Amino acid sequence: MVDKELLVKTAKKIVSREDVKYVVGYKQGTYGFVISPSFAYTPEDVDNFIYNPLCKKNLTVYPILEEKLPLRREEEEDKRKIGIVVKGCDSRALVQIIQEKGLTREDLVIIGIPCKGVIDLKKIEKRFPNQTEAVNVVETDNAEYILNISGAVQHIPKEELLSEVCKSCEYPNPTIYDFLIGEKIEVGEVPEYSGLKNLDETPLEDRWAYWEKHFQNCIRCYACREACPLCYCKTCMADMLEPQWIRRSVNLSENTAWNIMRAFHLAGRCISCGECESVCPVNIPLMELNKKLEKDVKEMFKYNAGLDTKEKTLFGTFNPDDPEEFIM
Amino acid sequence: MKIGVYICECGSNIAGTIDTEKVARSAEPLPKVSVSRVYRYACSEPGQNLITNDIEELGLDRIIVAACSPSMHEPTFRAVLKERGLNPYLLEMVNIREQCSWVHSDKKQATEKAISLLTAAVLRNALQQPLTPKKVGVTNNALVIGGGIAGIQAALDLAEVGYKTYLVEKTPSIGGKMAQLDKTFPTLDCSACILSPKMVDVGRHPNITLLANSEVVEVEGFVGNFKVKIKKKATYVDPVKCTLCDECVPVCPVIIHDEYNENLSPRRAIYIPFPQAVPATYIIEEETCLGIDPLICAKCRDVCGPEAIDFDMKPEIIEEEFGAIVVATGYEAYPIENIGEYGYGSIHNVISGLEFERILSASGPTDGVVRRPSDGKVPKTVVFIHCAGSRDPAKHLPYCSKVCCMYSTKHALQYRHLVHDGTAVNFYIDIRTAGKDYEEFYQRAAEEDGVIYIKGKVSEILEDGDQLLIRGVNTLTSETVEMHADLVVLANGMMPSEGTKKIASMLKLPVDSTGFIREAHPKLKPVDTVISGVFLAGTASGPKDIPETVAHASGAASRASTILAQKELEIDATIANVNEMLCRGCGMCVDSCPYSAIELEAKNSFGHTIKVAVVNEALCKGCGTCSATCLNGAIGHLGYTDNQILAQIKALSQK
Repeated sequence: MVDKELLVKTAKKIVSREDVKYVVGYKQGTYGFVISPSFAYTPEDVDNFIYNPLCKKNLTVYPILEEKLPLRREEEEDKRKIGIVVKGCDSRALVQIIQEKGLTREDLVIIGIPCKGVIDLKKIEKRFPNQTEAVNVVETDNAEYILNISGAVQHIPKEELLSEVCKSCEYPNPTIYDFLIGEKIEVGEVPEYSGLKNLDETPLEDRWAYWEKHFQNCIRCYACREACPLCYCKTCMADMLEPQWIRRSVNLSENTAWNIMRAFHLAGRCISCGECESVCPVNIPLMELNKKLEKDVKEMFKYNAGLDTKEKTLFGTFNPDDPEEFIM
Repeated sequence: MKIGVYICECGSNIAGTIDTEKVARSAEPLPKVSVSRVYRYACSEPGQNLITNDIEELGLDRIIVAACSPSMHEPTFRAVLKERGLNPYLLEMVNIREQCSWVHSDKKQATEKAISLLTAAVLRNALQQPLTPKKVGVTNNALVIGGGIAGIQAALDLAEVGYKTYLVEKTPSIGGKMAQLDKTFPTLDCSACILSPKMVDVGRHPNITLLANSEVVEVEGFVGNFKVKIKKKATYVDPVKCTLCDECVPVCPVIIHDEYNENLSPRRAIYIPFPQAVPATYIIEEETCLGIDPLICAKCRDVCGPEAIDFDMKPEIIEEEFGAIVVATGYEAYPIENIGEYGYGSIHNVISGLEFERILSASGPTDGVVRRPSDGKVPKTVVFIHCAGSRDPAKHLPYCSKVCCMYSTKHALQYRHLVHDGTAVNFYIDIRTAGKDYEEFYQRAAEEDGVIYIKGKVSEILEDGDQLLIRGVNTLTSETVEMHADLVVLANGMMPSEGTKKIASMLKLPVDSTGFIREAHPKLKPVDTVISGVFLAGTASGPKDIPETVAHASGAASRASTILAQKELEIDATIANVNEMLCRGCGMCVDSCPYSAIELEAKNSFGHTIKVAVVNEALCKGCGTCSATCLNGAIGHLGYTDNQILAQIKALSQK
């Protein structure tokens, strides 16, 4: 259980600093299980900060997507830092972005939260459909979630609501932080991600059929791209017209091209926060693609994304001794 | 836009497997194609004239030649376009020889493939933009790294042409391995006698700056403009004041192995490497001297009449700019202690070829009398084992080092000349005597000088009293051989020296599987490297004997001159270019560029400071690694734009 008092106190202290522009954290949403980002510019703004197992959203998209408006003459660049609340996976996104020079370490004040796993919004909404009132969720020490829904207290085993990616999480503790809220979690043996059979084991025809079925449904809303902390290119290749890599039309061929391109552009960069999958309105198992690439990168190049800001990016490393037995 | 298409038959090289007429007809209906012709040899003068005439008469403005690899004749046809006032980058070569006719046997399929390749080229060519090569100035100085015979020859040749040349040598004297040799095959002339005039020339040449005891520590820049840092170590003896009187040596209390004599004799911490050393000066070896501290020991300084010894000397970093670099970093003898069965290192009387060379030398540890290391006795039977560590892909060096057959023969012959009642036995796998007068030399050793040759390998060498027991096999008679000898000389092969490896990685020169530096082309560019402006001399690129090394070094000097003679150089225009609107400044291209050709530069964007990748046009080789790395698609490649490649893919994927 994360100490809310300490979180608020820490965030207040940070936002009071002169060199900090704002702190972004979580606040209770206005609808059901949804949690909203909260931008605190003053210490008072911090009062609505919360942290509970529903805080799945990866907040690192905000500093990286912050728009830099043209400055008026004589106007100084705002070089103040941004405070941000991160879980283990989120912190890896920050590390990866820093490696890619999207942000510098000095731009950030990081509040780290050791994370015991977060709830899959789709699972909980399926279980309690049409929930409109805001709900608070508490995690107990014996792997249970306690929910107070319309006056009725529910005890639900953690396993049933936990996000799939959290089950195979290797880095629950932030890999980078300035303040840590709570004790670090001990990481034991982590089970391998269970969803790889559709890419590794099944026969080619079945595999193709499986993915065709999913890609067929894609409506190309690009929510996966918007939610991803690492999909932050100024101009996405999917939006380019010259050359037009992917056509606008929504059909299997173009949908497939988009989804495969999205996954490959995250090879060696995806930090398994699972945001893409959880925002997908048509339930494409995007993490299966991401995890497959993560596994391949790990096996072929012994590379894990988002661990050390000093390390070079996977594709930014040229080593004459790189293995090439898998190159045809 | 009018495209002219020319299909070369290359005699039967292409026409034998490809229906060239059909390929030519296939291009006619393609958009923008005005003419499509077949010619027997497109690269010939009449072939070029055919294109020239068509450009004039039909008003062609783009040319496609389907022939051999662009690495062969692209320059030829680009020149044709240039002569007729067209931009040379509007030429497209289609490789239907190396990548089509030569590798396929089915005429129908090969023809289909050629048609596909040509169609792709036509669509790509229509999207081609005229490009202008950039020009960079040239510094007319040369740097030669390594002062063995290769470096000496290259430096002398460059200096003779008139270029200021720096010769950098790691050790205190130039001369390299050749200075250690007693005599050279096949003429048996004294190695030092033929080498030392060249060494003296180097020392005296007004155009040569000799930096002995120095190492190249950093190389930046590009062809015509290399910025190099050289570290000159302190020698603690002023070479100008030193009169070579040798007074300092006997008083030095430090006694260590003399590497010039392959550690077979002692030397002091203050020493001159060998009598003919250039630069001719004594030096103090920092690592072994009692501390370069006059309080501990200053015996040498006390006896030095001309006061040449200066304990306050400091290493210095010399920064210079060079137009071309010659890498002459040489070889190292294979560490024969790796061959456990021969016992080198544990058995005293098993020695290396270079050690025997020193034993034969009149200036060597035994004053030219053949004595064995264990007891100083003159050996009555000497066994020479060829290919010690060579031609053994399973455990040691896979290749033949070229010189060992000859030098073992020379050793055996020299031994027989010095010890008339001695027996010299050579164990060999094959005798390789390719070279002028080499076979005659071998015949002379075997027939006139009584050297015994046994075809076969030695499997084991054991100590037997004060003798050695050699077990092996004679593969001609299929008999096992067991014999006693007083001394065994192992002919160790050549492998790339530490310096070669270090310089290769510093200059980012690709090496082959054995660690030797790879030539730009094994046959047609044997002294060039893939880095323009960097050339190879001698054994840095593979085993060579002395005449070959000298020729190679002169070749390198001559190739370097082709750059140094220019006022400015044209840089190929097919290089990376950055679309600043798309660049995010992540720097992945910077990290992945194998040539360090990209840097991030700060730019002002509406008041905000942003980083943008900038390509150094002179350094970029156009390899495309950055384009493949860039997630934003912000780095493109001039002459290979995304649209051009997509057009090719489209054509190739159509059935």
